[in-house]
Amino acid sequence: MLYLAAEHFVRAPQWLWYVLFYFFFAGIAGGSYAIATMLRLSGDVRDESAARIGFYVSFVATVVCPILLTADLGVSWPRFWHMLIDVTPGDSAVNFKYWSPMSVGAWALLVFGFFAFVSAAEAWLSDRRGRPLVPPLLNRVFNVVGAVLGIFIASYTGVLLSVSNQPVWSDTWSLGGLFLASGLGGATALIALLMRYRPDAAFSLGRLHQAAGYFAALEVALIIVFFVTVGAAGTLPRLLPWLALWAIAVAGVAAGLVGARGHMRVMTAGGSGALARVRLDTVVVSLLVLVGVLALRAAVIFSAQ
Amino acid sequence: MATIKAGETYGFFTDTSICIGCEACEVACKECNQLQGNNPTFLADSFDNTGSLDAQNWRHVKFIEQVPDQSATPGNGSAWLMMSDVCKHCKHASCMEVCPTGAIIRTEFNTVFIQQDVCNGCRNCIAACPYGVIGMNQQTGTAHKCTLCYDRLQGGLEPACAKACPTQSIQFGPLADLQQAADVRLAALHSQGMNQAQLYGRDDKVYGGLNAFFLLMDKPETYGLPNADNAKLPSRNDLGGYIGAAITAVLAVVGGLVAFRRRVTG
Amino acid sequence: MLQNNLFHDEYVRNYTNASFLVKDGYAFTDGLFSGYSASARTYNIASWSYDTDPATSFANRDMTLQNPRSVFQLMKQHYSRYTPEMVSSITGIPVADFNKVADLVGQMGKPDKVMTIVYAVGLTHHTTGGQLIRSGAVLQLLLGNMGRPGGGMNAERGHANIQGNTDHAISWEILPGYLKIPAPGQKTIADYVAQSAPKKSDKNSWNFFGTNYSKFMVSTLKAWYGDAAKKDNEFAFNFVPKPAGNASWMTIYDQALKGKMEGLMLSGMTAASIGPDSNQVRQALGNLKWLVIMDALPTTSSEFWHAPGVDASQVKTEVFMLPATHWIEKEGSFVNSGRWSQWKDQVLPPQGQARHDHWILADIFQRVKTLYKTQGGKFPDPIMSLTFDYKDPLKPDLDEIAREINGKDLSTGKQMTTFANLKDDGTTTTGDWIYTGSYLDTGNLMKRRQGVQDPKANDPTGMGFYPNWSWSWPLNRRVMYNRASADLNGKAWDPARPGITWNGSKWVGDVPDYPATMDPHDPNAYLPFIMNGEGVGRLFSNGMVDGPLPEHYEPIESPVQNPLHPTNSASPVAFLYDKAAGRPNRFGTATDYPYIATSYRLTEHEHYVTQHVPHLVQLQPRPFVEIPQELASEKGIKSGDQVRVSSKRGKVEVLALVTKRLGPMTVAGQKVYQIGIPIHWGYIGISADSDPSHGRYWLANALTPFVGDANARTPEFKAFLVNLEKI
Ligand SMILES: Nc1nc2c(c(=O)[nH]1)N[C@H]1C(S)=C(S)[C@@H](COP(=O)(O)OP(=O)(O)OC[C@H]3O[C@@H](n4cnc5c(=O)[nH]c(N)nc54)[C@H](O)[C@@H]3O)O[C@H]1N2
Ligand SMILES: Nc1nc2c(c(=O)[nH]1)N[C@H]1C(S)=C(S)[C@@H](COP(=O)(O)OP(=O)(O)OC[C@H]3O[C@@H](n4cnc5c(=O)[nH]c(N)nc54)[C@H](O)[C@@H]3O)O[C@H]1N2
Ligand code: SF4
Ligand code: SF4
Ligand code: SF4
Ligand code: SF4
Ligand code: SF4
Ligand SMILES: [Mo]
Repeated sequence: MLYLAAEHFVRAPQWLWYVLFYFFFAGIAGGSYAIATMLRLSGDVRDESAARIGFYVSFVATVVCPILLTADLGVSWPRFWHMLIDVTPGDSAVNFKYWSPMSVGAWALLVFGFFAFVSAAEAWLSDRRGRPLVPPLLNRVFNVVGAVLGIFIASYTGVLLSVSNQPVWSDTWSLGGLFLASGLGGATALIALLMRYRPDAAFSLGRLHQAAGYFAALEVALIIVFFVTVGAAGTLPRLLPWLALWAIAVAGVAAGLVGARGHMRVMTAGGSGALARVRLDTVVVSLLVLVGVLALRAAVIFSAQ
Repeated sequence: MATIKAGETYGFFTDTSICIGCEACEVACKECNQLQGNNPTFLADSFDNTGSLDAQNWRHVKFIEQVPDQSATPGNGSAWLMMSDVCKHCKHASCMEVCPTGAIIRTEFNTVFIQQDVCNGCRNCIAACPYGVIGMNQQTGTAHKCTLCYDRLQGGLEPACAKACPTQSIQFGPLADLQQAADVRLAALHSQGMNQAQLYGRDDKVYGGLNAFFLLMDKPETYGLPNADNAKLPSRNDLGGYIGAAITAVLAVVGGLVAFRRRVTG
Repeated sequence: MLQNNLFHDEYVRNYTNASFLVKDGYAFTDGLFSGYSASARTYNIASWSYDTDPATSFANRDMTLQNPRSVFQLMKQHYSRYTPEMVSSITGIPVADFNKVADLVGQMGKPDKVMTIVYAVGLTHHTTGGQLIRSGAVLQLLLGNMGRPGGGMNAERGHANIQGNTDHAISWEILPGYLKIPAPGQKTIADYVAQSAPKKSDKNSWNFFGTNYSKFMVSTLKAWYGDAAKKDNEFAFNFVPKPAGNASWMTIYDQALKGKMEGLMLSGMTAASIGPDSNQVRQALGNLKWLVIMDALPTTSSEFWHAPGVDASQVKTEVFMLPATHWIEKEGSFVNSGRWSQWKDQVLPPQGQARHDHWILADIFQRVKTLYKTQGGKFPDPIMSLTFDYKDPLKPDLDEIAREINGKDLSTGKQMTTFANLKDDGTTTTGDWIYTGSYLDTGNLMKRRQGVQDPKANDPTGMGFYPNWSWSWPLNRRVMYNRASADLNGKAWDPARPGITWNGSKWVGDVPDYPATMDPHDPNAYLPFIMNGEGVGRLFSNGMVDGPLPEHYEPIESPVQNPLHPTNSASPVAFLYDKAAGRPNRFGTATDYPYIATSYRLTEHEHYVTQHVPHLVQLQPRPFVEIPQELASEKGIKSGDQVRVSSKRGKVEVLALVTKRLGPMTVAGQKVYQIGIPIHWGYIGISADSDPSHGRYWLANALTPFVGDANARTPEFKAFLVNLEKI
């Protein structure tokens, strides 16, 4: 056997489909919550509909997450709670290791789940009543805390990969940010897509596309950082087999940018409100972005396997 | 061997200079730990058909052919390297650092042990171990690796692999004794002109020191081992990772707030 | 060594036959020793003997070693041809490397230096195998390293108990204790001893073996035939078979090929895998009427009738499989290369209906005896009067057998303590005289285990003798001929490494291989090599049928001509079975088979038996051959590819392992490649079962030549010609 200089003799953890989708949904869950919160904070009342879509999406995605994580444990799934409680005989206590992203993430998911549930419930009840249930200020404070957790959820999965000794993953500090940017981009795309089914929310469409453009720009920057750092560590060759996935990921980002450009033009012409409904181009762009989000995670995960 | 006492630090000194690649250690480990082994496959990689350490292989003999092109040139003893690899029972153990369930503990013999009834199969330790030691057992759904024969030590017996090794390439004992023996051996090799011979993990330069350390006949990289510069704990990336995420978060939030800002529109 | 005077002068002069003069008539020309008959492919060895004094029939000696007919001068002349350049041309070892080794070895002739040579079948599996080993022994004698602790020419015996096997006469040409098998025409013990025992050829020779030959033989016959062995029937000497021809391993299958063999019993040995030219061996098995296999597991022999490509309905041989226990399933003794007979315990209880080999044989023996009793038969005496007084005649105990082997004094009923007390008057017995002293009235000494637990107490000499760990033959002596470890005055050559030394009144140290109180200054003091006629080590010997001095010959199949004597390139007396039997030639030439091949073991498998052990099959799961990288790239072969290796006799289709470990060599001015063939696979075992098509052409011995070393008839497994193709 010949070994690559300086490359650790490592074994891949073989996290495959469940974890890939968990990373995807975690990005969407955290991202949507953050976007919804930002819409409430910075937008006007007409953006509330879109915000509520965000909270719904966040809640659904959050529910999926622990299911995926538990399923990934295989036959040990009934022990999922060992993440939180240490069952070592004579040592039983709460498990919390701030230096282990997986340990922190398990707790974060639990707490964020509470926020996602409450916010989704609040949105649902408000929708049914036709007016807000909770006083806006209180709601916003709650949302801000939830959004911070959401951003954590969307980003820590990247940090988790880096906090390892796998080639590629541990060679860069960019993954947390990269997953966050792409999670936010994916969340905007999904919310935009769902506006098809809630036409009153389409008011926010142009703004969403604009935000998506910023996220995509951030993502481009982070992808560059990723390649530069991995290149410096000498593990670039590991990315080669997954170039197709990278192409899809980049196509998603490009779609986000193109979409944003188109809609900003619309916006200058008539403002966001001028867009009455979601058109085919938004559907296409959104789907491309979402596929890109998935592809990015797949490319990153597989490159160490 | 003196009696094995709880509270003392035990480990291995694996002297690759005298390993003959017989793989008795691999087999003894499997027999003793009732590991079935993987499906037989021919790997066409020197005499290695085991491939790597994993859930079924807790010892793995690496064969590294470094034959100079001119076959008759004396190879300074390093033409065909053999190394019986095993969990290093690192003093600063990457696996233990990341394990979210607390399944990985240090035993009363100061070895690194995965408690099978605690582990829930998350595989974070697998991603963390820099030596590719740990593997998943699909039947039990838990992570497996060398236990340093925890059960045998508790019963006062030396580990099976060390016991079976016919050349004493694998020496077991209190770490301090092993370190002393290793120093003597290294000095002997150096005096015979084998200047590439070196100890790996005997001092604290890799992972604070390895309880299972090695005498290598070449650079660690030749054996696929991280050298002192590369041997870093996973937590090295905690700070950088979170800072990267935080900067992104700030920029993204600014971007989001700007995009969503209330504006006067027609 | 000889030209640079690096030999151990005092030792060579006094302890070897360097000073002995050789008869006129002995000569060596163009690769042939004197006395060669080309038609018979044998030597008449009459001229290979000493120049003797007719009065005493002792050899004439020249202690100055200057006489041109002295062994010393003849050797010097014989080996002057082996210059470093010549050795390099023969072996492919670069001259510089050879000189480096030679320099080191050359220093080992100093009295206070000693080296050992350890060898196994890398030396024996050649048509010159016997002489290769002798060449090592000759070198060690020149260096003064025989009979010394840390010296010797040491066989690493193969199977755990191969040494015990030969001691107890597994070879056809000996009886237990290396007594020769009687020859046709010998009527009396006296005839037998006259033709078998070494003869004294120097006045100071003790000739212990020769002197006591009849005592050992008579005591053995007494053990076998008890009361039926009487003085007036020559102790039943006529009960012992006196084979007229060679009956070595290959000869058996040669006879079967000729249709001269009715049946065969194979115990713990799988003929179809291990012999040369296995396709031909399988054919031989098919010529038998019946075949009995005693084994713990199925083997390529027990299943030969449905080997891949064989039509079972065409095989007429009736095959009986008798389940035997494996050695793990019984106690007994293993004898190591240092002749230590170590008693071991049973590890596992036998499985199923398996019986110990000796129980199976005992049962067969009792049944044969019953048949003789009820139906009569020719010459029943050897069967009817064989001693078989075990507690349970169907299940003899190994402990009983060990006691019997030691032998006893019939007049007192006590166990013999030493073979020195064996007699030829019928009052003593021994099952194997070299083991006399191993099992005393006080118990089985082979069970002793005082070893490295306490080196101070258990190794008083500090020489690693550990006299109370098991028991070694002869008489618990750890170094044979240890008189040679001391100089003429009885002082150790190397005081730091004494064997035995003379303390003024007796010999101390190891158990002396010499009369314990014989003063070395006594003019009649015996010479150190007490077992042979000369009393000294033989540099020149007529004990071999292919020459008194070792000589290099190429293998029977070789891509080059012997640079020393191209006209007599290969051994002129190697036994060519096919030719002798009139079968077609089965040797190939370098034109059709351009590559050298050799066969060997892997540490991961033990021959063929570990094909049944899953953990070992995982380590080496598939048959493969090792191919030099340079040759592989010429042929476009990559590691893991399927290749065909074929010889004139057969082929294997296996995987390739390409490696730089096997480099090309320059031999006789020619670049040659070597292909390595591990021997462990056949059509039986886990890898074969998992995919029957895998089992097709796996036997390494499908390739090897059916030819035997002239002395031992050992096959030439280590060098033959093959072709290589990618498939
Ligand atoms: N693991 C394992 N151990 C075994 C056995 C086994 O099957 N498996 N079998 C046992 C038995 S029965 C035996 S007999 C022994 C045999 O033990 P070894 O003698 O070690 O057997 P091989 O591996 O057949 O061949 C040995 C070496 O001979 C070298 N060789 C070939 N030709 C020559 C030559 O002309 N000169 C010299 N100097 N070297 C040459 C080859 O390079 C090869 O490395 O092993 C015993 N031990
Ligand atoms: N080409 C090539 N051929 C070779 C060699 C080579 O180097 N090259 N080496 C040769 C040498 S040195 C040897 S020794 C032979 C090895 O040849 P074998 O001795 O025939 O090989 P093993 O597989 O060890 O066979 C032993 C058989 O004995 C059985 N057995 C074990 N214990 C017992 C017991 O107590 N009783 C009975 N009845 N059976 C038992 C096992 O199950 C196994 O089937 O091969 C020879 N053939
Ligand atoms: S070698 Fe790997 S598995 Fe063993 S203690 Fe170190 S990090 Fe853990
Ligand atoms: S797989 Fe088991 S031992 Fe490994 S990190 Fe997860 S819980 Fe800990
Ligand atoms: S110490 Fe025990 S568990 Fe670890 S490799 Fe050795 S035999 Fe296997
Ligand atoms: S048992 Fe000893 S000699 Fe054999 S491969 Fe293992 S470490 Fe090397
Ligand atoms: S004698 Fe030595 S080489 Fe042979 S099986 Fe035993 S340990 Fe292995
Ligand atoms: Mo053998």
